[in-house]
Amino acid sequence: MAASIIEMIVFPGFIFLGVLGMIFEYVDRILYARLQNRKGPPWFQPFADFIKLGAKEDVIPREADSRMFKLAPILAAAAAVVASFYIPMWGGSALHSFTGDAVVVIYLLTIPTVSFFLAGWYSTSLYSTVGAVRTITQLFAYEVPLFLVILAPGILAGTWSLSGMAVFYSQHPLLCLTNVLGFVVAIVALQGKLERIPFDIPEAETEIVAGTFTEYSGRLLAIFRLAIDIETVVGAALVSAIFLPFGIGLGGVLGCLVFIIKIAVVMFILAVFKTSMARLRIEQMVNFCWKYVAPAAVLQLFISMILGAFIGDAFIGGGE
Amino acid sequence: MNPDKIVKIPMGPQHPALKEPACFTISLNGEKLVDLDLRLGYNHRGIEKAAEERTYIQNIYLLERICGICSHSHTTCMIQCVEQIAGLEVPARGRWLRTMVGELERVHSHLLWLGVAAHEVGFDTLLMYSWRDREIVMDLLAAMTGNRVNYSFNLIGGAKLDITEEQKKDILKAVDALEERTKYYIEVATEETTLVARLSNVGYISLDDVMRIGVVGPTGRASGLDSDARKDDPYAAYDEIPFKVITDTHCDVYGRALVRMGELMESYKIIRYVLQNLPDGPIAVKAPRKIPAGEAISRYEAPRGEDVHYVRANGTDKPERMRVRAPTMVNLLAVPKMLKGDNLADVAITIAAIDPCFSCTDRAIRVSDYDGGNAKVMTWEETRQFSIDWYRKNGVDFTELNKRFANRIK
Amino acid sequence: MANEQAIQAELQEKFPYFSEKINVSGDRRIWAEVEPANFFEAFDYIVKKMDFPVLCIITGLDSGDNLELIYHLSRRDGTMLNLKTFIPKANPVHKTVMVDYFPGAELYERELVDLLGMRIEGLPEGNRYPLPDDWPEGQYPLRKDWTADILDKLDKQPEEK
Repeated sequence: MAASIIEMIVFPGFIFLGVLGMIFEYVDRILYARLQNRKGPPWFQPFADFIKLGAKEDVIPREADSRMFKLAPILAAAAAVVASFYIPMWGGSALHSFTGDAVVVIYLLTIPTVSFFLAGWYSTSLYSTVGAVRTITQLFAYEVPLFLVILAPGILAGTWSLSGMAVFYSQHPLLCLTNVLGFVVAIVALQGKLERIPFDIPEAETEIVAGTFTEYSGRLLAIFRLAIDIETVVGAALVSAIFLPFGIGLGGVLGCLVFIIKIAVVMFILAVFKTSMARLRIEQMVNFCWKYVAPAAVLQLFISMILGAFIGDAFIGGGE
Repeated sequence: MNPDKIVKIPMGPQHPALKEPACFTISLNGEKLVDLDLRLGYNHRGIEKAAEERTYIQNIYLLERICGICSHSHTTCMIQCVEQIAGLEVPARGRWLRTMVGELERVHSHLLWLGVAAHEVGFDTLLMYSWRDREIVMDLLAAMTGNRVNYSFNLIGGAKLDITEEQKKDILKAVDALEERTKYYIEVATEETTLVARLSNVGYISLDDVMRIGVVGPTGRASGLDSDARKDDPYAAYDEIPFKVITDTHCDVYGRALVRMGELMESYKIIRYVLQNLPDGPIAVKAPRKIPAGEAISRYEAPRGEDVHYVRANGTDKPERMRVRAPTMVNLLAVPKMLKGDNLADVAITIAAIDPCFSCTDRAIRVSDYDGGNAKVMTWEETRQFSIDWYRKNGVDFTELNKRFANRIK
Repeated sequence: MANEQAIQAELQEKFPYFSEKINVSGDRRIWAEVEPANFFEAFDYIVKKMDFPVLCIITGLDSGDNLELIYHLSRRDGTMLNLKTFIPKANPVHKTVMVDYFPGAELYERELVDLLGMRIEGLPEGNRYPLPDDWPEGQYPLRKDWTADILDKLDKQPEEK
C-alpha cells in the first residue's frame, strides 16, 4: 500500500511527472526558439517560472465564482496525473491496467480541457468567456478523431487495454506500419488538445489576451501551467505508447531512457508543427478537423478492422 | 438579430494586439462582428501646438518624434514646406540622399509590418525571422546617420551627412542580402497554407469605398487604387528615378501583404539606382534662421501612406501653424468598413494591415490618489521637486553632485 | 503650369468673387479664398464638376478675429487646390463636409471642434477626438491665446473650494 502511494505521488507519479513536464516544457521552448533562430531560455526557466508564480499573490476577480475558480486548475492537474497511471511507460505494463483503460484515459484527458472551459466560464470576464466557448468548440472538433485513432489499433490488437496494445505491437512491430495514418491524426488532434499553434485559438493572444487564463495569476496559474505541462507529457506518452511501441519491456534505466527519447521525438514533431504555421480561425479549425482529420481517422478505423478480420486472427493472443 | 446575443468586447486602450493605445469596442454576435466603435486620442501629445512655440530647427527634432517608424518621412515633409516658403533650392545630392534614407526607412517599416502582421495571426516564426532581417537595415541606418530610429538626417536646405564609398559598398551588399530574404518571405506569404487562409478574404474593402473614404498608401493600392505621392506629386529625387507603383486587386489583407512585399522589392531597386547614379556636389545649402512669411503644403509617401504637412510662416524663426496629417488618420476610418461581418479573430490582423500609427498633446500630469479617488494635480515644477525629495528621502541626493558639476563647468 | 492656370481661369469665370482671390504658387499648387456664404457653392462645384476627389486635410488656424479653415483638395494627378475660408470667432459655425462629400473628413472636423472650438453643423454624434473625455469645457488648445498653464490653474480651483 505504502509503496503504491509512493508510486503515485513520487515516482512515476505526480512529482516525477511534474518535473518531467517542466523539462519537456523547456525542450519545447528551446526547440521552438532554435527553429525561430532565437537563443531560447536557460534550462531552469520553467522551474523558475513555477517558483516565481507560486510566490505571487492569487487574485480572484470579485465577479468570479471563487470555488470553481480555485478548483479548476487542481482538477486539471489531477486528471492529467491520474491518466498517466494507465499509460505504459517502460516495463511492459502501466502502473494500473484493466480491460478498456484506453477509453478511461481518453476521458481523463478530456477533463483538463473541460476544466479550462470551467475556469474561463467562471472567471466571467469577457475574454475568458470567449476563450472558454472556443475551448469547447475546439474540443468537439478534435476529440472524435482522437478517440477513433486511439481505439483503432486496439481492434487489431484485440484489446482496449493500453498495456495490452503496447505489448501486442512491440511483439509485432511491423504491424505498426498499418497505423501510420492514425499517428498523423493523433499528432494533429494532440496539437489541438494542447492548444498549440495552429490550434491555439482559445488563448489567441492578439484577439482575446490569454483567453481562459486571462484572470488567472499566482499559484493558480502555476498549477494550470503545470497541468498543461503534465498533459503534454501524458499526451505524448499516450501517442508514443500506441504508435511507437519500441523498447517496451526493457525496464530499468534503459527503458526509462527509451521512453524519454520517444516523448522527445513526439515533442519535436509538435514543435516543428508549431513553428511552421499561423493560427487558424475557429471555424477554419472546425472545418479542417471534420473535413480532413475525422475522415482520415475513420479510414484508419476501417484499415484496422479489415486487417483485424483477415490477418489479425493469426496474431491475436498477445493482448489479454 | 437578437440584441441579447450581442457581446461588447473592448480591444484597448491596452491590448496585446495593439502596440499603441487606441480603443476599439467590438460588438460581437457569437464570433461574428456586428459593429465597431473607435475612440482615439490616447496618444495626443499636442505636437502641433508645441511646434508653434519652437524654432524651425527645433521642430525638425520635434516632428521626428511624431512617429518612431516614419521619423524621416515627417521631417522631410515638413522641411519641404519650409524650403518652398523660403525659396531654397536643395542640391541634387542632398535630394538623392534623402530619397535613399526614405527608401531604407520604407524597407525597415515594411519588414516591421510583416513581423507584426505575422504575430497578429499567431505566426511568430515569421515575426522572428523578419525582425532579425530588419536589423540589417537598422544597422545600415545607424551607420549612415548615427541613429537607429530618429535619424535626424535632414537639414532645412539639404541633408546633414554625406555618404562614404565604404558605406555605399555596405549598403549594396546588405540590399542584396535583404532582397534574397524578401523573396523567401514572398514565397512563405503566398505558399504557407495556414497563413494564406488567415489573410485571404479578410478585411475586404472595394475600390469604390477606398476612393470614397480617401484611403492612402499600401492599403489603398491593395484595392487597386493607383495613387502614390512619389509619382503623383514627385518630391526629392523621385522624378528622376524609375520605379513602379505596386498595386493589387485582392482588396483584402492578403493583397496588402503582397503590395508591401512588392514595394520592398521596388525599394531595393531604388536604393541601388540612387547609389549608382548619385550626383556629385554639395549636400545642402545654408538656410536662413528666419523664414519669410508664406505658406506651403507638401506631400510625402511614407511607408504607411501619404503624409501631408502644411506650414504657415510669419517671418519669424517660429512657424505660425504647422499641420500634420499622418496616413493612419484616414485609413483608420476604413477599418469599420473592412471588418463588417468578419470574425473576432480577424480584428487584430485587419487593424494591423493598415499599419496603424496612433500619433497625437501635451497633457497636465495627473496623479490620482489610489484609494480616495480625488485627483491631485501637480505642475511640472512640483513633480520635479517631488521626485527630488522622494529620492533624497530614500537616500539618493544629487545636490553634492550638482555642485561638483557646477564647479567643473566654471 | 497650364493645367493650374486653366483651373484658375475656369473658377474665375464661373465665380466672379474668385477674380482677385485665386493664385497659383507653383507646380500643382493653387490657393483660393472664399467667403463662408459662398463656400459651399464653390466647394460643390470644385469637388463634383472639376474632379477634385481627394480631401487631403482640413487645416484650422487662429488668425486673430477669425478662425481660418483651409480645405486642401487634390486631384488624382497631384494638383492641389487649397480653399480658404474665414469664420468669425464670435460665431464659429460651419457646415460639415463629411456627410455629403468626404466621409474620411470625420477626424479632421472633430479636431476642429476639439482644438479650435469650431461648431460643425451636421457632424454626426460620436466619440470626441483627440482630447480626453474629462477635458475642461471651453478650452481650445490651438487658439493663439491658449497656453498649457491654463490647465494647471483650472485644476487647482476645485481644491481651493
